[in-house]
Amino acid sequence: MRQLLSLLLLSLVALFFAPRASAADYHEQLVLRPLPLSALLASFNFRSNTTLSAFEAHNFRFFPRSLGQILQHAGTRELHLRFSLGRWDAESWGARPWDGAREGGTGVELWAWLEADTDEEADRKWRTLTNALSGLFCASLNFIDGTRTTRPVMSFQPEGNHPNSAMTNVHLLYGVLPHEVVCTENLTPFLKLLPCKGKAGIATLLDGHKLFDASWQSMAIDVRPVCPPGGECVLEMEQTIDMVLDIERSKRPRGNPIPRPPPAHELKCDTAKPYHSGDTCFPADYNANQDWSLSQIFGKTMKGTCPLTDPNVPPVCLQVPNSRGVYITEGATEKKNLDLVSRCYEIAPDTPEFEMVLPRPESSEESGQAVAVQEVVKPETPLLYAERSFTGHGQEHGGVQTILRNPSPDTKVEFIYMETLPWFMRIYLHTIEARIEGQAGSSKQDPLIQEVYYRPAVDRARGTQLEVRMRIPPASTVFLTYDFEKSILRYTEYPPDANRGFDVAAAVITILNPNPNATSPRFAAYNLRTTSLLCSLPTPDFSMPYNVIIFTSTAIALAFGGMFNIIVRRFVAADEGPEMTLTAIKERLRKRFGGLLQKYRGKGG
Amino acid sequence: MDGGKVTLGRTAGLYLGAAVLRLALFTLFPGLADLLTGRVEISTPVTSFKRLQEGLFLYDHNVSPYDGGVYHQAPLFLPLFSLLPSLPIFTYLLYIAVDILSAGALLKIADSGEAGSSALFTSPRREKRWSGFVIAAVFLFNPFTIATCIGRSTSVFTTCAILHAISRAVAGAPFSAMVALSFAAYLSMYPLLLLPPLLLLCYDRQLPERAIKPGMRSAATNILVVVGVLAALFQMSYLMTGSWEFLPSTYGVQLTLSDLTPNIGLWWYFFIEMFDSFRSFFLAVFWLHLSCYVGGLTIRLRRQPLVVLTLLLGIFSIFKPYPSISDASLFLAMVPLYRHVFPLMRYTFVIAAVIMYTTFLGPAFYHLWIYAGSGNANFFYAITLVWGLGQSLLVCDLTFAVLRDEWEVERPEMAGKDIRQI
Repeated sequence: MRQLLSLLLLSLVALFFAPRASAADYHEQLVLRPLPLSALLASFNFRSNTTLSAFEAHNFRFFPRSLGQILQHAGTRELHLRFSLGRWDAESWGARPWDGAREGGTGVELWAWLEADTDEEADRKWRTLTNALSGLFCASLNFIDGTRTTRPVMSFQPEGNHPNSAMTNVHLLYGVLPHEVVCTENLTPFLKLLPCKGKAGIATLLDGHKLFDASWQSMAIDVRPVCPPGGECVLEMEQTIDMVLDIERSKRPRGNPIPRPPPAHELKCDTAKPYHSGDTCFPADYNANQDWSLSQIFGKTMKGTCPLTDPNVPPVCLQVPNSRGVYITEGATEKKNLDLVSRCYEIAPDTPEFEMVLPRPESSEESGQAVAVQEVVKPETPLLYAERSFTGHGQEHGGVQTILRNPSPDTKVEFIYMETLPWFMRIYLHTIEARIEGQAGSSKQDPLIQEVYYRPAVDRARGTQLEVRMRIPPASTVFLTYDFEKSILRYTEYPPDANRGFDVAAAVITILNPNPNATSPRFAAYNLRTTSLLCSLPTPDFSMPYNVIIFTSTAIALAFGGMFNIIVRRFVAADEGPEMTLTAIKERLRKRFGGLLQKYRGKGG
Repeated sequence: MDGGKVTLGRTAGLYLGAAVLRLALFTLFPGLADLLTGRVEISTPVTSFKRLQEGLFLYDHNVSPYDGGVYHQAPLFLPLFSLLPSLPIFTYLLYIAVDILSAGALLKIADSGEAGSSALFTSPRREKRWSGFVIAAVFLFNPFTIATCIGRSTSVFTTCAILHAISRAVAGAPFSAMVALSFAAYLSMYPLLLLPPLLLLCYDRQLPERAIKPGMRSAATNILVVVGVLAALFQMSYLMTGSWEFLPSTYGVQLTLSDLTPNIGLWWYFFIEMFDSFRSFFLAVFWLHLSCYVGGLTIRLRRQPLVVLTLLLGIFSIFKPYPSISDASLFLAMVPLYRHVFPLMRYTFVIAAVIMYTTFLGPAFYHLWIYAGSGNANFFYAITLVWGLGQSLLVCDLTFAVLRDEWEVERPEMAGKDIRQI
């Protein structure tokens, strides 16, 4: 009886506290930001918290149990996982969302702080973690082996609040799979980790067809402990999806996706051109295409809101100038922010569907360019532009060139450039050189390269790790170059598509905060990644291992046989010694075996 | 007296000419050195100058050069080159000096007449020989030698050490011969296989006043010297790099062929295409094959140990794991010592044609494979096969000529007649 009473009491307490707990512990938000050139950035953010004590007691509420158990088993303090595709076009889209902190290089990237006493134990736990995550996310994370794992020294710092005592035996490991193709099978497990499982709320907009058709997309999972001042420490899990959709492409009807040239009367022409006439057309700026609706670009409408989300956080925000009008479904309320360029929508809990239509600004047809500027918010200039490419030709030697441009007219930018290269790119560090465009070399008193950390590759055991701390003066472009040699592999080490080339992971650039203080304690002010590279190695002929073995063995046999013959046999004059003609051989054979033959014949007869 | 002076003047002129030619190539064509350094025919993973520079850079910046996959050369190169002033001209002068030292050693070997008449055998044809001047000139102006020098391959140091070991042995100084051989073995390991014939050469040529008579005692003393010097060198390397990890990174790479960069030898393509489960078996077979010639040739040609050394150098330049044209140039430097048996060789035209053919077609086929993309790896592989066959024909033919020369001492009436082997 007493037990039953206490159970009742407990459930009452739970009922009473549950809504409050959920309100603080989970929220989701979608931010839509139209970008120049007919692009739209959609940032989905899902954040769930659980107290560390509940997590350690295996008491999972919003935190997914599947992931939580993996983290506990592998002793993971902090985890960051990225699935990315495409290229962020910084020249036209400006700064990256989240200051680049929720973004990875092409393929899959994983870094984690693991608790371990020794390096070997850390490696073992890392293997456990990658194998388990590989199963959870249907990705080839289990291929992150010794050759793809590094221990960055300068580039990463924990984002969460870790007690200092715990940091002494924590190891940072970083692995990257640039060849991995991110696809729908990675999205499904990603959505399953959400409390609403993609059945309600903003996650209903996520669809593999649209997400992986985007010009650029990045899925991120970040798990970190956060200790709010005066509160209990919580384990925070943040799931983020950023995608840049091409509006024109997304608006194609699902059933008839083949693009066809539009009829002449639908062409958007730039009427300001002097040669504009009935039969000539210069295509108008793509900015003129910023009219869309949620269902057009995502293929479906949003199915209400997730009931578990914090009602104080508006689920959908849109970043367009306040002058533009937006149509929304009944039941949602618009709230314009004070910065004049963003507004958020609150959706009543019982709204079955949410739809939003951004119409074309009325005046754009008449006055052209002047209004087009007003249509989208002008993108922010990033702190640094980076581009990386290969130089040289042929499959023997090569070089890597990174072009880094500081657009700011008056501030220096200091950053850490990190590359993890596969072992078959043998880099020559003595050829590393940084020079400012238009100058011969780096000045002595303020060198571009401040510090280098280098761990050379060992054949078939580990990759190269190169971290360079650099400082670039304002308004200048720097070329960072080095040479490398392409090694030839054993034929079993090539993938089936050997002539496609080998992917080289993106370089990670971490820009340091120029004046760190209490309000901006973040180690990295901005992150960016270059694109990945495709390195083609010399290939052997895969069809002829037997032929090669036979030919080489023949050459060796000829040399050895010739030598052996000369050394072992005696010289005689041409007319001396025993004859070795056919009759002589027959005669010798008869002498040796003739008697036997006679005997046999005698027996037979 | 006068003749001696003239000879001295001529030799000095020869050295000067060789040095000026090399210096001119270095300075007048500044891109040539780096171009040749990048050629696979000249630079192998264990001798490349670019890899040496990388090792030096890492060494100067306190990163262990052996904790990586690039530098596979002996540790003592590092202090040697880091003590050199950083101007490239000093490197050029060092390489030129090493080449001239090698030529000097070769000249002494040739002038000793050991090739024609050793302690146990005197060739009836020994009068027909080239002087040391000619032989040194052939070595110094051999395009292979010049290319190796301009390409700054570190195998020139091994070449120099081997030639000095032979020249000291011929001069009757076994101790310094053994020290030189230890240096060669320390730098590239395979010269250790030259020890048995070199012991015999030392024994045959020891000076009467300092002779150690019983052969076993002489051999034991010399082997002890080699072991002692090698141990000292390893100890110095250990003290310098602070660990023994240079051993697997320098000698281990040669033993296991973990770096499969193409070269003119037969190993690289064979081990690219080898099935994984048989890799270690065939590595053992290839090394066994390389070392099996030592015993046979040393016994069969007991009376002429210098011939054994020459033939072994030829065999190594075909069958060692990372051969380059530098090894071929060393062998081709020793071959003219046997001018007197050239008339007994049967395939001189074929050999010369094959060597010329591969010299020109090798780079062309490599270009087709790596740069033009219109050929595949088999093109270059085929040329390395032909190169290997051509060289092995030269080795076999020289062996035949030398053996026939020996035989004609027993049968002087057979000179110029047809013979056969049974």
